[in-house]
Amino acid sequence: MAGNTDRLVLKQKFTFCFGNSGLWLLCLVLLLGGCRQAKEESKEILVVEDDLGRQVKLQGQPKRVLSLSASMTEMLFAVLDTGTIVARTQNDDYPAAALAKPVVNNYPVDYEQVLALKPDLIFTVEGITPPDVAARLEELGVPVYYQKYEQVEDIFTGLEDIGRIMGREAQAKTLTDSLRQEVRKLNERYKHVQQPLRVLAITWQDPIYVYGQNTLLTDKLRILGAENAVQEVFEQPYPALTREYILKLNPDVLLGGTPEKLEAEFFSLYPELRRIKAYQNKRLYHPTDDLMSRPSPRVVESLRELEGFLYP
Amino acid sequence: MKQGFYFILALLLIGLALLLGLQVGTFETGPGTIAELLFNYNPHDSAHYAILHLRLPRLLLALVVGASLAFCGYLMQAMVNNGLADPYLLGTASGASLGAVIVFFGFVQVSVGGVYMPPVFALAGAFVVTLVVIMLGYRKRRLIPAQLLLAGIAISALVSSVVALLTFLSDSEGKLRSVIFWSMGSFERASWTLVPYPAAALLLALLLFVFYQKQLNILLLGADRAQALGLQVARTRWVILATVSVVTGFAVATSGPIGFVGLIIPHVTRGLLGTTGRFNLLFSAFVGGFFMLFCDLCSRLLYPPAGLPIGIITSFFGVPFFVYLLFKKNYNF
Repeated sequence: MAGNTDRLVLKQKFTFCFGNSGLWLLCLVLLLGGCRQAKEESKEILVVEDDLGRQVKLQGQPKRVLSLSASMTEMLFAVLDTGTIVARTQNDDYPAAALAKPVVNNYPVDYEQVLALKPDLIFTVEGITPPDVAARLEELGVPVYYQKYEQVEDIFTGLEDIGRIMGREAQAKTLTDSLRQEVRKLNERYKHVQQPLRVLAITWQDPIYVYGQNTLLTDKLRILGAENAVQEVFEQPYPALTREYILKLNPDVLLGGTPEKLEAEFFSLYPELRRIKAYQNKRLYHPTDDLMSRPSPRVVESLRELEGFLYP
Repeated sequence: MKQGFYFILALLLIGLALLLGLQVGTFETGPGTIAELLFNYNPHDSAHYAILHLRLPRLLLALVVGASLAFCGYLMQAMVNNGLADPYLLGTASGASLGAVIVFFGFVQVSVGGVYMPPVFALAGAFVVTLVVIMLGYRKRRLIPAQLLLAGIAISALVSSVVALLTFLSDSEGKLRSVIFWSMGSFERASWTLVPYPAAALLLALLLFVFYQKQLNILLLGADRAQALGLQVARTRWVILATVSVVTGFAVATSGPIGFVGLIIPHVTRGLLGTTGRFNLLFSAFVGGFFMLFCDLCSRLLYPPAGLPIGIITSFFGVPFFVYLLFKKNYNF
């Protein structure tokens, strides 16, 4: 589970020159003159644990941060002072303020540009930044903090974690309180749905990739009293399915495009799937891509959009 | 006698693989369902529908593509007199990939008038690249096999680098998945509208080579001796090249570039039936078809529901067998 409060370990350590008292004594003897300089370098080191259980070492509270994923940029802008965020990636387009920031390529990562912007910390999302890239960045002296989200609630704890690391706890709390309340209201409304709608959301048509059980969508649908038609848990979050598998699922609702687009690019390619209930009952919808794919504070907006499709 | 036995064995294995393959899928089905379907087809029963419209075309496509690749592999090896040749040496695979990638990356609409474009463009790409390679294989109006092979390798590399460039510049993960999925081969797109094309190409080619079988074996003696024996070498080569281009083109366009079948199965054929058997070509096609059916079955059993990419399985099973052939005492390449 992401963002458990207890997991955010804040250790304060005073390191003297080499962080080892024996060596420090040696230093003291050998470098009497250099002592003053050593004291100046001693700095508070914060160690925080990210959602992947990695120890992230920070030289004091970060003042300059950047994100390597579009959803994380939305998270940062929701909690932080705009001036703290020093860049955006080529894909980031929300909020509008992000567009004013210099661009850092996140695939492949433009290391020189990252270094030029002198960030104290990089926030990113599991699956967007490969571990070897994070290792390289840390080698270059920029710590990387990963978040991951399995449920809608994880986004909120993620926002609070960002607030805590960056000293903006109050702002984060205000935001998450109101977001949680919205989610609660929606959940109350659909708690007692008798026959949950079974929803299949496709992300690509050839091969057919869909939102699997362990994606955020499953939790979003649960909040709205519906369920992900894909109940089987696959290794990949977005598994590839066969036409036969989808025929058997026979979903009530299909998300993935406007009826015209699905007709032209999906059902014309797989005419066999015209037998599914969603097609027969014309329950084909086109959710906004960014709202579906980005785990961000706009999750409530995404829930409302889905609500509109499920209960027109 | 021995030949007859192998043919019957191959046919039986194909039949068995088809029967088993029809029962593997998401819907729970067994021999009973197949019998029920034969005698009492119910179009409203989704399991029946899936067997008839999804599983059967898929199996037939696997059979046809496996047979096509093995058949073309045999022809190519005979034509250039080299056991390393495979049907993709003419650049067919890379050309088809370029065609498909052009569609996947949005340079062309995915669907035009209800027709799905990637196979169409893949076929076009395969033909164009093959034509260029063949043109480069000529010198003084004579086809030089070595030059043809080198031209094939060079042009394939060039086209592959264009594909790689487009892939690298891709702006969406979905497009990348399409390309990766395509490059490893799959029968998942199979349908009754798709299967007839590669099947017709293969059947016509098999018929054609009923008449050309003898010429093929004479060609194995080398161009000069074949010429001395009265064979029209240039014409025979033309017939082979045209056949390989068309049959491989259709196979690759419908299923992606599936490796190793075209290389290995001809060796299996020669290992079993000798180098100059009368029915080698036909047998090669049979064995290729069976091998592909078997690989498809494994792919779906190992990794349900979508199946592992077929190219991975063909290499996995094909290569150990190939190594065995390399070390077998009385087999010459």
